[in-house]
Amino acid sequence: MRRLLDRFKYNGLFVKMFIIMVVSIVTVSVTTTWTTINMSERVFMETFSITNSKVIEQIKSSLDSFNYSIVITSNNISQSGSVRSFLTEGDGDSIARSKAYYSMSQQMERFNSSVDAYEVGITVTGVNGRSYASDRSYWPLTDAELRDHPVTAKTLQEPRRLIYQYDDAAHSGNPATKPTVIASKALIDRTDFVYGTMYFSIPEREFRRFYESYTSLGNDVAVLDREGTIVSANRLEWIGQPAADLLQYAEQIEEQGLPYKNVDIMDKDQVVLSEYLTPFDLYVVNLIDKETAIGQLIDTKTIVLSVMAITLATVIIVFVISRRMTKSLTRLVKQISTISKYEFDHHVTVGGSYETRQLAQAFNDMLDELQEYVKELVQTQKQQRNAELEALQQQINPHFLYNTLASVKFMVQRGSKEKAAETINALISLLQNAIGNVSETIPLSQELVNMKNYVFINHVRYGDRIKVNYFIAPDCMGFHVPKLIIQPFIENAFFHAFNNKPEGHIYIMVAKEGDALVCEVVDDGDGMADAPSAGNLLPRPKSKRQLFTGIGVKNVHDRIKLLYGEAYGVTITSEPGEGTKVKIRIPLLKG
Amino acid sequence: MKKIIALLLASIMILSACGANTDTGNGDNAGEAADTSKITIWAWDPNFNIKAMNLAKDVYAADHPDLTVDIIENAQNDIVQKLNTGLSSGTTKGLPNIVLIEDYRAQSFLQAYPDAFYPLTESFKASDFADYKIGPTSVDGKNYGLPFDSGVTGLYVRTDYLEQAGYKIEDLQDITWDKYIEIGKAVKEKTGKDWISLDPNDMGILRVMIQSAGSWYLNEDGKTANLEGNAALKEAFETYKKMMEANIVKIHADWSQFVANYNSGDVASVPTGNWFTPSITAAADQAGKWAIAPLPKLTNNPESVHASSLGGSSWYVLNVPGKEKAAEFLGATLGSNVDLYQKLITDVGAIGTYKPAAEGEAYKAPNEFFGGQEIVADFAKWTAEIPNVNYGMHTYAVEDIIIVEMQNYLNGKGIDQVLTDAQKQADAQIK
Repeated sequence: MRRLLDRFKYNGLFVKMFIIMVVSIVTVSVTTTWTTINMSERVFMETFSITNSKVIEQIKSSLDSFNYSIVITSNNISQSGSVRSFLTEGDGDSIARSKAYYSMSQQMERFNSSVDAYEVGITVTGVNGRSYASDRSYWPLTDAELRDHPVTAKTLQEPRRLIYQYDDAAHSGNPATKPTVIASKALIDRTDFVYGTMYFSIPEREFRRFYESYTSLGNDVAVLDREGTIVSANRLEWIGQPAADLLQYAEQIEEQGLPYKNVDIMDKDQVVLSEYLTPFDLYVVNLIDKETAIGQLIDTKTIVLSVMAITLATVIIVFVISRRMTKSLTRLVKQISTISKYEFDHHVTVGGSYETRQLAQAFNDMLDELQEYVKELVQTQKQQRNAELEALQQQINPHFLYNTLASVKFMVQRGSKEKAAETINALISLLQNAIGNVSETIPLSQELVNMKNYVFINHVRYGDRIKVNYFIAPDCMGFHVPKLIIQPFIENAFFHAFNNKPEGHIYIMVAKEGDALVCEVVDDGDGMADAPSAGNLLPRPKSKRQLFTGIGVKNVHDRIKLLYGEAYGVTITSEPGEGTKVKIRIPLLKG
Repeated sequence: MKKIIALLLASIMILSACGANTDTGNGDNAGEAADTSKITIWAWDPNFNIKAMNLAKDVYAADHPDLTVDIIENAQNDIVQKLNTGLSSGTTKGLPNIVLIEDYRAQSFLQAYPDAFYPLTESFKASDFADYKIGPTSVDGKNYGLPFDSGVTGLYVRTDYLEQAGYKIEDLQDITWDKYIEIGKAVKEKTGKDWISLDPNDMGILRVMIQSAGSWYLNEDGKTANLEGNAALKEAFETYKKMMEANIVKIHADWSQFVANYNSGDVASVPTGNWFTPSITAAADQAGKWAIAPLPKLTNNPESVHASSLGGSSWYVLNVPGKEKAAEFLGATLGSNVDLYQKLITDVGAIGTYKPAAEGEAYKAPNEFFGGQEIVADFAKWTAEIPNVNYGMHTYAVEDIIIVEMQNYLNGKGIDQVLTDAQKQADAQIK
């Protein structure tokens, strides 16, 4: 989790950039696709409606010509005298009947020829109970069934009109009746006497032929009668079904003169076109299922899929490119943040795009300059320190000189010339070393001579109640040490460690310890009550002034650190009544 | 890593899009491949032929569940028209695998379209079927049609009307057409009911008469008309006119009226093919009032027997893909299944022409509607007596001429002149 957050922190720029790009790409592609589909749908619907109104016109005209041939035939039949006598005359004997039926068959064959182009069965029935059918297979009703049929009743209500009606098994009660359209008209003579009825039975499949070729999936045609029954349709399951809502739409279109109407019918979003067929008293209705019709034209699935594929490809490309662009930057940021935490001397890797390269370069330059500056600063400080030390060193305590010289004067007055000369010699040698360049190192053997001179002078001045012993490892004699590094501690021991004790010893020990030279100044004096037990902190100097030079204990510690680093320095341990131990660590210097 | 995942995702999406397309392609192919396991059959008459074929289909489906049999009902005229249109244009597209053809028309198809039919010689044993069916269904010794229903004729009579006129069914066992007319007159006089119903546009009664004397509209060669000087035909014409003049004939114009005339009890007898049985038995209220007598024979023709045939038909396999399956189907069902023939009798009332089936129980069962008469056995007996004639190629062409000439004859034209004129027209037409 933390790692993820870290990653996010470093890749923040990339993530933001990428998210913005993805969101924009997706938005643009979705909007474009949606607009395109919508627009083409609209254009398609307009075109479709125009085309289909033409189609309906065509259906209408072919139905009209069909109707015309029915009308012609019906006129011929009603004007035929032989048909009239066949339907009105008495029964007569077998021969007369045979002749009547034979001539009727000849007649009907002629009438039939005018509707030969269509599958039409003609049936005529007469008041004398006779009937003649050119083809009963389309409408297989017996004469008795025909007499009581609702189609007949309706025909006789309007005897002068040729009316089209629908019949099927459910309507006629005869299970063998297939969906059929019946055109019927009464046969009337001049005295308004109805002597018979004629029926033209058109099987629904024949009626369907007029428009079936114009239909397709989602583009359906249905023919409705005034009662809202579907008389004919290219969808077989619709035939004979009531469709009141469809009729209502058809009537609205007819009344308001609409080109088409968008409706929600049969649970589908459809476009309805309609035309009223005056001679038939039927509506031709064209139903276009938007979803299916447009689905055929616009394969929404494919479009969406390809847009998705393109978008995905773009997103991948954007991902790769922006990743590459931001990766170097991210790396840079990562390196920079680490550097500020740890070291200044590590350069960042220069790479990636021009901008990042320049940035890294600039950063590296800045680092270099910074380092240069720091170095200079350190150098200056060192120099300053040295100058300070030097200054301190130069300040040989005038009291020291005055006291020493006073001691020498007493020796001379007492006549101990030899001792006076020895003391003067020691002083000369001590001063010679102290006044020289403070930054110089001297061999340990030389420092030992200095220490001995100093101790000698002190013995001369204050007596030898404090003994000093030297334990110098012979292999250490050649190593160099900074000047006057041990002297301040000896001075300290002389003047502060034996305030209570009347006498004691100071041990000077130098030995090699690993790669360091360790000098120890140990006394068996009073010890310090206030010395920290851990002992790595230096006690405050007791007096502000040093007795020999300006270099104090504290100075020594700082100086070593400055010169040789943190690993080196001075540690002091002390027990009250037991004494004090000072330990100086310096590197092994070879001059 | 991210890149790889993204690439994988992209390729999966693209692949799946392609996958969807291939699927729809496969669907179309599957539809075509399925067609070879389907055979289509065309027939007419749902109460008889279609019903019979459905029985055969059920029997076959029990052993061959993977074959789809699609039986389509068409009017006989439509079938004839579609076959002619299809076969003459040389394309068999849209034509069925099996088609029912009336025996009268069979030769005209078989000879006009020699390669259009698939020989069934191997699919069934021709000698197991009634001899008179083999002639019309074969060409040059090859069997193209599987004989189906027997057109064997009988005389259906209303015994109650007969008794009112003082006759019994026993009196009709061996009669001539003249005697038949005489009885008809008596029935008409006593009951007021007509004796026979005829259609002036269908000369079936003439064909029944002449076949009973072993004669036909055409000569033995099946190609030339045999009208002038055809004694049987001449007597048939005269008999027809006698019936008309006796005023015992009710006229009908189509099948529906024909059946209605009997179902309503207006007409007392009908000499016709056994396939009329279901139409008679449809009027359940007339049960027990009907009997079937042997067909009357021509009075003056010694050749004439009490048996004839009218309007039988047979199954043919068209030479289209799936023909082997269709032939196998016919061979396994109507070509050899005795049990199926029993079922045809009990369920449909169809009498086949498969001889081994006559041994079955159903053939011997009495029919209660016909007063316990063993009608199937009777028909089977008469079937064996039917004279074999060659229906030739032009039965219906000649019939059309006969229909017109019959009207002339009824109008007073001399019989010899009528036949001479008919012969001339036929010669001119059928060359």
